[in-house]
Amino acid sequence: MTPLLSIENLSVVIHRSDPGDSGRQIAALSNVSLDVNAGEVVGLVGESGGGKSMVARSIVGLLPPGSRATGRVLFAARPGAGEQVDVLTMDRAALAGHRGRGAALCFQNPRGALSPTRTAGRQLTDRLTTHQGMALGRAREAARELFEQVGIRDPGRRLDAYPHELSGGMAQRVMISLATGCAPGLLIADEPTTGLDVTLAREILRQLRHAADTDRRGVLLISHDLASVAEVCDRVVVLYAGAVVETGPAGRVLRTPAHPYTRTLVASVPQVDGHPVVATPGGMPLLARAPTACPFAPRCGHADDTCRTQHPATTEWGAGWQVACYHPQAENLAGNLAGSPATQAGGARTATQAGPAGPRPPAGPAAPVPAAVPRTVLSVEDAHVVYRSRFGGGGHHALRGVSLQVAAGETVGVVGESGCGKSTLARLVLGLVRPAAGRVTLAGHDLSRIRGRRLRRLRIRAQLVFQDPIGSLSPRRTAADAIAEPLRAQGVPAAERAGRVAAALARMGLDESILPRRPHELSGGQAQRVGIARALVGGPDLVVFDEPTSALDVTVQAQILQVVAELTGDESRGRVFISHDLATVRGFCDRVVVLYLGRVVEEGPVAEVFSNPRHPYTRALLSSVPSLGAGFAGPRLELVRDLEEADAATGCPLAARCPLVTDRCRAEPQELVGYGASRAACWRVPEMPELLRGGGAGA
Amino acid sequence: MAAPGPGAGGGRRFATGLIVSGSVVLALAVLAAALAPLLSQWGPTEIDPAGTLAPPGGDHLLGTDVNGMDVWSRVLHAARVDLGIVVAAVALAVLFGSALGLVAGYLGGWLDDLLMRLLDIFQAFPMFIMALVVAALLGGGTINLVIVIALVNAPAYARLVRAEARSVRELPFVEASVTSGSGTLAVLWRHVLPNSLTPVRVIAPLNCGWAMLTLAGLSFLGLGVPVPTAEWGAMISLGASDVVAGRWWTSVPPGLFLLASVLGFSLLGEGLQERAATGGPASSGVGR
Repeated sequence: MTPLLSIENLSVVIHRSDPGDSGRQIAALSNVSLDVNAGEVVGLVGESGGGKSMVARSIVGLLPPGSRATGRVLFAARPGAGEQVDVLTMDRAALAGHRGRGAALCFQNPRGALSPTRTAGRQLTDRLTTHQGMALGRAREAARELFEQVGIRDPGRRLDAYPHELSGGMAQRVMISLATGCAPGLLIADEPTTGLDVTLAREILRQLRHAADTDRRGVLLISHDLASVAEVCDRVVVLYAGAVVETGPAGRVLRTPAHPYTRTLVASVPQVDGHPVVATPGGMPLLARAPTACPFAPRCGHADDTCRTQHPATTEWGAGWQVACYHPQAENLAGNLAGSPATQAGGARTATQAGPAGPRPPAGPAAPVPAAVPRTVLSVEDAHVVYRSRFGGGGHHALRGVSLQVAAGETVGVVGESGCGKSTLARLVLGLVRPAAGRVTLAGHDLSRIRGRRLRRLRIRAQLVFQDPIGSLSPRRTAADAIAEPLRAQGVPAAERAGRVAAALARMGLDESILPRRPHELSGGQAQRVGIARALVGGPDLVVFDEPTSALDVTVQAQILQVVAELTGDESRGRVFISHDLATVRGFCDRVVVLYLGRVVEEGPVAEVFSNPRHPYTRALLSSVPSLGAGFAGPRLELVRDLEEADAATGCPLAARCPLVTDRCRAEPQELVGYGASRAACWRVPEMPELLRGGGAGA
Repeated sequence: MAAPGPGAGGGRRFATGLIVSGSVVLALAVLAAALAPLLSQWGPTEIDPAGTLAPPGGDHLLGTDVNGMDVWSRVLHAARVDLGIVVAAVALAVLFGSALGLVAGYLGGWLDDLLMRLLDIFQAFPMFIMALVVAALLGGGTINLVIVIALVNAPAYARLVRAEARSVRELPFVEASVTSGSGTLAVLWRHVLPNSLTPVRVIAPLNCGWAMLTLAGLSFLGLGVPVPTAEWGAMISLGASDVVAGRWWTSVPPGLFLLASVLGFSLLGEGLQERAATGGPASSGVGR
């Protein structure tokens, strides 16, 4: 059968015409070939700059101006009929038809891709009336059905909602309904789950799988999330520096990769089962012309002179499995990680220091709050935070009674979906917001009571590492300036500052040559190291990491996680590590706190909470995390609906979504109940093991 | 990052063209101002007893005006007065307006409300009425003219910088500075101010053009510089009646100089605006 889409030897070169760098060109894609069949989900993975989006753009004929494409992008307008058209040679009119009905694109940022001044329903009916020639009334009915199909609660009402009234997940669902609305043969999803919570991401991916299975569409899923690709896709194509390095059956390629780059990628992904992360130094090159050698050779532990002088041809590695490498690796990845050259290249650094069975002493059996023997650096007691709206009463209740203790030398993970109050907790601890009720004690001082100069002094005791590494540095200040800022604020003399900045920089493994650079001249990984250096330079008692890796590429993420893991050996300060990604927390935290709608729903030692959580929410989160390894081992749970703010009003906040809900849950607010060394806010904690063993679990 | 296409590259070249041509025109005006005594043998207020309203040619390159003063010399010397007043006034407006906007935008709250309502009241008065009031209160004179023009233009900068500061203060690097223990003044000076001035850099040259027209307008109404001083607006005003009698040389030359200078400022401003719109981070490094 003719494939729905077959890309043959596609190369794209982009010419830049800026006066500054005239004649500069980038080889965005080099000899890329791939097929997508009807009813198949093909994953396209690789780090940013690898050319993933360029492939998507060439399929819909949306290449950036100044680019030249060679090769063929053959598309079967009517699958089965056997005739194929080359998208690259289509004229304007043909392209317009192709984009709506042939191939549809689902963007990464759904809110940005939806027009803010038109209702969601209107944007969908517009497409239906244009491409399908439907009358408005019928289009509206069809739109309602499409909304329902993608799992939008109350579709009739959402038709008239403007994009800003939709949550991120809802907007992504609308986006999918827009893309599938005109029944395209091929659906291209460009990072559709980036920025979404695990529970939602799972649901969106299920929608895509559904489109392939029931509607026989071809789906090209572009993602950097390897675990999701391994679970959802039939086949996977791995891109590096614009060239295909490995392609084959998704599950097998991503679990036992043969190409060293794919192995690097897979080894960089943190796993919920506590599998250690291995970082590979270096970054992806931007090529000016099609590579004449293996583009990965400079970072590869297996590279020899052949790799550095000749470009490897694609060779058959297994059934439908091809690798472009002179030295494909056959051994099992997990078993070989410790001795892999990547680790050696990282110098004396070890992989994450504390796995699940790490050398840490287990917390005392009946001590959910750690004893004061190691000094307590942070104590939050029953804190409430309300963001008041400027006009009139009301406001957003971001934290509803959170208690948290952090001792020196300890790393506490804080996890939860977005909107659960994680970042508010960080802001509270740093004295950026004041609690409406409750107390925050930092290094022995009550943060909520002092003001002015004393507050500023105290703020230096707690430092924050930001989510957006580049954005957290002032565009007009150099890296040296940024790192020195806490010292300047403390009144450290200029002569002493330089030395301490250099020391902090060296600790991050950065070269002094980056000191005079401004943020836009730094890579994401470098900028985040500068951010961590700034946080450490003043010798704080507490460092708060607010999703420090979520804006970074996988291999860079692994590098930063390794830096953070090294810091966990420091007994003089406490650390709080905030993340929506449970797997990143698993590696090096001692304790974990799970937040849901501004409340602590479960807390305890990482090993206990992650292996056998008693709260349905934690269990559901863990169950949703896609994994390349064994994944979450225990009985799984699934939440039934998307998160809604209003759920927090009465009773257990999870009641509306919990598969184990009873009338008592709806009526009573929940208190933390102890089990082992942990606590969970669910009255059914004692009976949880039995409940899960019984038929109650909706797995 | 979205790749700028060929349009963007063309846009940058266009922007550079605008900036260069504007700068050349302004450089000529500055040169004329600087070399005025060398370029003409007459003083700007020197009266030639030999004749009033002499046509161009002979002793007087551009003739004389109704008072018997040399038009060429006056036009050149007026460049000093006009450029000086305008640049001083806009600089003052930027300084005052930015400071006000920075404080209001960063601190917010009741102070912001108060300052902005005061600006509303201030801006409710027509400009020329205000000039009259200031002139009546402080008296005429060049310094007061600078103050009037600065006052008229400052609110625009206050609003511009306030809007920028309000968005900049939400950016992570400002929060990073606060959590580093820096005081409010340090945060404002080191982080918020430099990152809030981008639109000011674009607007200020354009504003110089408008300010020049304002100055000419005030002078035309007799609210400008004291009488014998050479100033383009005043010269146009004085020579306006001569045009009817066919004596174009008393008003057209100052008009052309005024036109050229305003054009120079406009080209420069438009060029900077264009560059800001098309350029990436490279252009944000222009000036400090």
